[in-house]
Amino acid sequence: MVQSFANPTRFLRLADRLTPWAAGATAILMAVGLYLALIRAPQDYQQGETVRIMFVHVPAAWMALMVYSFMALAHGTAIVFRHPLADLAAKAAAPAGSCFTFLALATGSLWGRPMWGTWWQWGDARLTSMFVLFLLYLGYLAVWQAVSDPIRAGRIAAIVAIVGFINVPIVKFSVDWWSTLHQPASVFRMGGPTIHPSLLVPLGVMAAAYAMFFLTLWLAAMKAEILERRIHQMQIAEAGRA
Amino acid sequence: MDVAAAHVGFVFAAYALSAAVLGGLAIRTVITLKVLERKLEALEARQAPRRKAAT
Repeated sequence: MVQSFANPTRFLRLADRLTPWAAGATAILMAVGLYLALIRAPQDYQQGETVRIMFVHVPAAWMALMVYSFMALAHGTAIVFRHPLADLAAKAAAPAGSCFTFLALATGSLWGRPMWGTWWQWGDARLTSMFVLFLLYLGYLAVWQAVSDPIRAGRIAAIVAIVGFINVPIVKFSVDWWSTLHQPASVFRMGGPTIHPSLLVPLGVMAAAYAMFFLTLWLAAMKAEILERRIHQMQIAEAGRA
Repeated sequence: MDVAAAHVGFVFAAYALSAAVLGGLAIRTVITLKVLERKLEALEARQAPRRKAAT
């Protein structure tokens, strides 16, 4: 199935069909999610109103990890199956992934100041590993910017994505492996979520909204990457004729 | 939501920052796509007469 979309023209047709649906689903999920998060969800008995930061912080953190995993998988597909669009798929995902990581760090900091009494704690394993993830994203984007040959850039970017993937389980399990400031997992854990449904439902809707938002942006970014490659090929052909 | 509650400014800041970053990313992506579409159209329009002449 993945190989059937190796043809850029076929992929563009699919992207054109899917994008309006993905954008519509994003708008609906975001509207419902914000209503549930800001109006319907109750205050937390300990955190008060600051619990609402969780509805933007946690989906951003989940997406940061998922997008990086997707990038590593896409580069792996490019190496193993020689899929012509796999490198582009990873490249198109990276700006959104870096923004999600930045938002996870910044909104976490905005939650940490009133709740922990500090904006940042270098000794915390989750915070530090998440910051490393942000640096990996920046490094990955810098490779595509710095190397002009797209094939060579793809190879170097693949190394960054695949080697850097080792940090993803470190981020996920850091709260279990090291007992530091960040609270342990409360949704994706053995034994099920520990969050009350009145807070879990808005969180789930916001996470779905973030995922659909990513899909919409990724489809648009993929289209831009394919067009850019096409323009590049046409310019080379034009220069050859001149 | 109680807008007079303690630390509510941190909540607004978190949502405003999220909206600004995600909105900015969406705008940047759309602008990039539109610029590339226009560039491709211009290139195709420039190359079309040559292709016609060659045939």
